[in-house]
Amino acid sequence: MTSTLKGITLKGSAEIVAEFFSFGINSILYQRGIYPPETFSRVTHYDMSLQVTTDVKLKNYLTNVVSQLKEWLCECTVQKLVLVITCLETNEVLERWQFDIECDKSAKESSAPREKSLKTIQEEIRSVIRQITASVTFLPLLETPCAFDLLVYTDKDLVVPDKWEESGPQIINQSEEVRLRSFTTSIHKVNSMVAYKRADSV
Amino acid sequence: NMDLEDDTTVLTTLKSFNSFISRSQPPQPLPECSGYGGSLQSTYERSMGLLEAAERVNSKNKYFQLDQEKKQMELSHKRARLELEKAASDNARDFKNEVEKNQDLLGRIKRLEERESEASRNLEEQVEANRALRKNLEGLTKKLEERDTRLNTANQTISSLKDEVRVLTQKIQNQDSTLTSQTLEKEELQEQLDLQRRKYQEVSQLCKNLQAAQSSCSEHVIKIKELERRLALQEQDFSIVKNVKSEVARVPDLEKELKRLREENALLRESRENCSLLKEEVEGLRRKLERTEKTIEDLVNMELEKEVKGSVTEKPEDLSREVIQIQQREITLKEQNYTLNSRVRSTERLLSELNSELSQQHSKTLEEQKKREAQDSLVRRLQKRVLLLTKERDGMRSILESYDSELASTEYSPQLNKRVREAEDMLQKIQSHNVEMEVCAQKHIPQGFFSGGESTRGGGGVYNTLSNQSQFLSVCMSFRQKIEDLEAERQRLEEQNNILEMRLERHNLQGDYDPVKTRVLHFKMNPTAVAKQQRQQEMESLQEEVTRLRELVRSLQDGGAQDDGSILTPNLSLSLPPSKEVLDLRKQMESSELKNQRLKEVFQKKIQEFRTVCYVLTGYQIDITTTNQYRLTSVYAEHMDDSLASSPGGGSMHLMETEFSKTLGEMVDLHLHHQKSIPAFLSAVTLDLFSRQTTV
Repeated sequence: MTSTLKGITLKGSAEIVAEFFSFGINSILYQRGIYPPETFSRVTHYDMSLQVTTDVKLKNYLTNVVSQLKEWLCECTVQKLVLVITCLETNEVLERWQFDIECDKSAKESSAPREKSLKTIQEEIRSVIRQITASVTFLPLLETPCAFDLLVYTDKDLVVPDKWEESGPQIINQSEEVRLRSFTTSIHKVNSMVAYKRADSV
Repeated sequence: NMDLEDDTTVLTTLKSFNSFISRSQPPQPLPECSGYGGSLQSTYERSMGLLEAAERVNSKNKYFQLDQEKKQMELSHKRARLELEKAASDNARDFKNEVEKNQDLLGRIKRLEERESEASRNLEEQVEANRALRKNLEGLTKKLEERDTRLNTANQTISSLKDEVRVLTQKIQNQDSTLTSQTLEKEELQEQLDLQRRKYQEVSQLCKNLQAAQSSCSEHVIKIKELERRLALQEQDFSIVKNVKSEVARVPDLEKELKRLREENALLRESRENCSLLKEEVEGLRRKLERTEKTIEDLVNMELEKEVKGSVTEKPEDLSREVIQIQQREITLKEQNYTLNSRVRSTERLLSELNSELSQQHSKTLEEQKKREAQDSLVRRLQKRVLLLTKERDGMRSILESYDSELASTEYSPQLNKRVREAEDMLQKIQSHNVEMEVCAQKHIPQGFFSGGESTRGGGGVYNTLSNQSQFLSVCMSFRQKIEDLEAERQRLEEQNNILEMRLERHNLQGDYDPVKTRVLHFKMNPTAVAKQQRQQEMESLQEEVTRLRELVRSLQDGGAQDDGSILTPNLSLSLPPSKEVLDLRKQMESSELKNQRLKEVFQKKIQEFRTVCYVLTGYQIDITTTNQYRLTSVYAEHMDDSLASSPGGGSMHLMETEFSKTLGEMVDLHLHHQKSIPAFLSAVTLDLFSRQTTV
């Protein structure tokens, strides 16, 4: 990727962020039990062991979304990526994992690689994923069967691609929000946060 | 070793002797060299030499003795050695013999041990073989016992089976009879069923009529309830109307009371006026009182004088009458006095009250006058402040409008900060101006202050000409107030700013977005949509199944009342999966049917065996022709049709007449009529037939 070059380019940064999203979404799906744990297999990345799904349909969906996301990251037109967990019985949104993306637009024009070591970025990503795993301690249990959806907040003037459509923000009624760690590649900065439905209000 | 040591001592002595001898020779020339002085010395030396020679001789003697001893000792030594050697050789031989013996013994011991071990092994093997044999024996004995028991049980089973065969044949007969009786019952029951069905139809019709009647009843009940409700409402209205009527009836009385009260009011007002008039009268009356009292006193004195002058001739009765009249007059006058006094007191009280009221009103008016003066001053000050503030506000408004027109986004905080900074700069300017003014005022006040153009600075252009110290101070005060107001507003704006920032952050965390700038997209075929679709399909399929099952249940319920199970069971078997109970029952049925079949086979076999045995042993084949009729055919019968018939009846067997029995008339007479024994007859018949056969 960018380990052979001395710095981080826009394209390299987009790749790093897209890869993080791919592994992060898999981790969240495994931790929250959206899919049964036997459909996941262990891989090593970022110097830690992560769970990745083996379900073919899910894999296809994720690769589609992540590849489109990479394009948008290169164009700096994406603002947020949200993973929404909905309860199938009541159609209520129970959890919302939001990743804010701040893009340094000056990187588009200059096209000179920025000085930031890949190792530092990986360390930051590692701590974010560890925090996601640890969040299981305070998030309420998901006892009913749930499904998830990925929403992307983009600029208004963007052309909507073929297989995508507009949707609502799927905001939780009466939520508690927790801000998690962030990491930056010096071109893209990703802030993570999780919002969940208050248990007493259910 | 002792020999060697002795030898060594001998050798050493020899050596020492030889050495001495060698030594003693050189000192001999010494005595030759010495002179006179050496004569004593020579004699001494000679004597010494002689002594030494003597000693030498002695020693030689000793030496020879020793030598001899030594030789003797050597000889004895040699002898001893020889002897010892012999003894040693003997011992060695003995030792060798002993060793050989030892080895022989050891070999023997080993062989014996081996034999012992072999023997023990053999023993163990034998013991084990013994044990095995014993076990075999025990097993065999057990087997024998088992076989014995089995034999016994087999015998028992045979006997029990024979009994069972008998019992079963009886049962079969009984069952046949019950079958016929039950068919008859069935026919009766079917007739009853038809009757019941007819009755049921009538009853169902009645039920329907009842239901219709009930529905109409319920409708009537509903109507009744409605009417009752309306009645209740009407009664309520009626009661309300009554209350209103009563109240309305009370109205004229109230009007009368009103009139009366108004009249009373007018009267009281008049009485009040009268009171005032009465007060005036009181004063007049008081004066009159005084005058009348005086006149009364004069009158009384006059009368007294008159009476004193002319009362010498008057009687005491006239006096008393006069006294009484005087007393009465006194009393009336006293009463008048009291009434007048009371009126006076009341008027005095009123006067005092009025005076106090007057004083209060005076004080109130004074206070209000003071307040008015203070408020006038306040008003003047406020007017000045208002002027300043309006000008400030205009300035701020213009700034705000300029900002609003410049920027369209929602980032207010930098604008607010800029405004705050400008306000602060203004404040500082004003303050500095204020300070300068004060300094100028302090300088110029003793000289008679007159300012010109030094005060034409500051925002808003308010401070143009100052001519009085008080005006200058009031302007300072206004400046300070303005500063405080601006500070307060700044703080308020900062708080608002913080609140708005927090709200923004919160909304951002919750996922809010600006629809003007942002758009939310998602994949069309996302897992949630797919899951919802699947759920929908599942729901639909489940609902279909539910409706189907409900129809089935309804049909079952209807079908159960009509007892047409045969029509519906094929449907059931197609649609419903067989339940566990049904499967279990089917299995049980199959197993019982199998058992029945097996039992039948066994019974048939046994019966057949028994019949053949009977036939063979007794010589007669006994068949059942009809109920209670047995046919006996002999082994040796000449024709197939030759048979005897018998039937049990009335506690004993009767032999019926057949064609064959007619031929045996003699034997019938003999054995049956005379001897009354059927077995004898039968045996006679067999013997007869047998004899005929053999002969023929």
